[in-house]
Amino acid sequence: MSTLDIKDVHKAYGSVQVIHGITLNIKDGEFVALVGPSGCGKSTLLRMIAGLEEVTQGEIDIGEREVTDLPPKARDIAMVFQNYALYPHMTVRDNMGFALKQRRTPKSEIRQRVDEAAKILGLEDLLTRKPRALSGGQRQRVAMGRAIVRNPNVFLFDEPLSNLDAKLRVQMRSEIKELHQRLGTTTVYVTHDQIEAMTLADRVVVMNGGVIEQEGPPLELYDHPKSVFVAAFIGSPPMNFFEGTVEQGNVLRLEDGTQLQLPVSDPKGRTEITVGVRPEHFELADTGWPATVSVVEATGSETQITARLAGKMIRVLVRGRTDVQAGQDIHLTVKPELIHMFDPAPIPDVALEEDH
Amino acid sequence: MTSSNTNAPKIRRRRRSFSHGARIAGAIFVSLLFLFPVFWMILTSFKTQVDIFTTPPKLFFEATTATYVEYFSRADIPQRLLNTVIVATGAGILSIVVGTLSGYALARIRLRGAATFGVLILMSRGVPPIALAVPMFLVARNMGLTDKHITLILAYCTFLIPYVMWLMRSFFVSLPKELEESAMIDGCSRFGAFFKIIVPISMPGILSTLIFSIILAWEELLFALVLTSRDAVTIPVAIAGIAGDTETGANWAALTAVGTVTVIPVVIFALLVQKWLIQGLADGATKG
Repeated sequence: MSTLDIKDVHKAYGSVQVIHGITLNIKDGEFVALVGPSGCGKSTLLRMIAGLEEVTQGEIDIGEREVTDLPPKARDIAMVFQNYALYPHMTVRDNMGFALKQRRTPKSEIRQRVDEAAKILGLEDLLTRKPRALSGGQRQRVAMGRAIVRNPNVFLFDEPLSNLDAKLRVQMRSEIKELHQRLGTTTVYVTHDQIEAMTLADRVVVMNGGVIEQEGPPLELYDHPKSVFVAAFIGSPPMNFFEGTVEQGNVLRLEDGTQLQLPVSDPKGRTEITVGVRPEHFELADTGWPATVSVVEATGSETQITARLAGKMIRVLVRGRTDVQAGQDIHLTVKPELIHMFDPAPIPDVALEEDH
Repeated sequence: MTSSNTNAPKIRRRRRSFSHGARIAGAIFVSLLFLFPVFWMILTSFKTQVDIFTTPPKLFFEATTATYVEYFSRADIPQRLLNTVIVATGAGILSIVVGTLSGYALARIRLRGAATFGVLILMSRGVPPIALAVPMFLVARNMGLTDKHITLILAYCTFLIPYVMWLMRSFFVSLPKELEESAMIDGCSRFGAFFKIIVPISMPGILSTLIFSIILAWEELLFALVLTSRDAVTIPVAIAGIAGDTETGANWAALTAVGTVTVIPVVIFALLVQKWLIQGLADGATKG
């Protein structure tokens, strides 16, 4: 176990800059999730920590030791890949013991440590099998076993659950969390799935275009996103956005002329503004923002309403059930403390996707 | 309703067995087409000169092993067979070592101009061998290397290495690169990852490519004809010599007898490794 410090790290392929100076200090035993859309540089950053990509500029320290230019094997890290990368010609036991064998660990100790890891992950009965005789979830577990046998300073996960089906993904997610609570190893976890990041991590780092957009504990990002990008990326279903100009202190005038009464005026006093409201923070009321319901989807515990407000599609999430029906006109209010106001910025695709 | 229900499977089964039979017949026909020359060669090798020229050709005759005894008790034919073994295995092994390593480099290592380099090497295969044979002879003579095993081995490598390199390159490309990355994180160097992970996984491909290379070198005639004269002469050259014997006319019995002996090791080799060959060709699907 160890700290991990990333100091102003840059990465360029030729003249194309992909990471624009990232600084991140990870505490001993902390679980950090790097999250962002594809191409944001999160995997590149992880691969630089692993030593699989050269660092163009900057420094990476594991514990007290600078590892910037060390080969992967000298960094004492373990990595779980998206496609597991199990060695197909070796049994599960040999796969898990390979790293120890490379370190010339005595055979009896390898045996014992593999057995221990297998027990933690419930792989005892599979130790003599080859990877091709395993299911996706079992392969995933072997890949994790291979990592924990090492007892490394840092665990690196590169989208480890994206090859699994939805149900297994949820199950493995809790297993990873449990494993981290049990072992307490410093972990960096890359994912494009914000729910994975939110549920697993102590700290979520949202990346965009090679820079850190915002970092913090999951709920802090949810409660206080600093930009439209983070607001759109964190939370599911995604936040609704309204772009417009502020008039008379607290009236938002949308592009088509619709005027929406804001519960509070912008503390920063901007005129051009993007207002954000999470679907679950809307409340149905007798007066307020007018909208027309287009679809009502009830799942029992909650009801998702898709509606049109000034020609724009919005989502409203209501706890429990409601008698609202498609075609009905409704009014929406939002509590002053739950409304978000941002500098105008392009809204990322995630927020526009139909069902993220 | 009931009758059609009971009949349907039967009809289907009959139809299937018919198409199955047709397929078997087709396979037999094609096999015979390919095997007939080999069969005729073996048959001829046991005939006397008189039987060979009888019309219509005889299928049944008094077999004689005289030709075999005569030709394989002479010193030169066994010697040439040995030369062929040395040259073919030498060239096969050298080309597999160099070709596998360079194929791996082409597949994985980011090098400026690597792709161009690879294509250039492949293009060398487009040059007709006869155009290379004469310059090769001149180079060998200037270096005092004519009529030596090593000369033939190196000459064969000129066409085997591009072949091995490209075959192995496409094989390596099909393997996920995370395998080596994982091995490197687990404590291997790039070379260690290659030898401990990639080579064992690729063994079927490597072995089948090796066998192909040996067979190609085994039956090569042109370079051997140009580059050898006495000591390093290989069996294809010897066969060509028998066929082209203008003084006494072609000795067909000898030609076919030596030919049979030449073909046997190749056939045995191919049969031994056919499991690998098929696996090797179908491989690349061996992903994690």
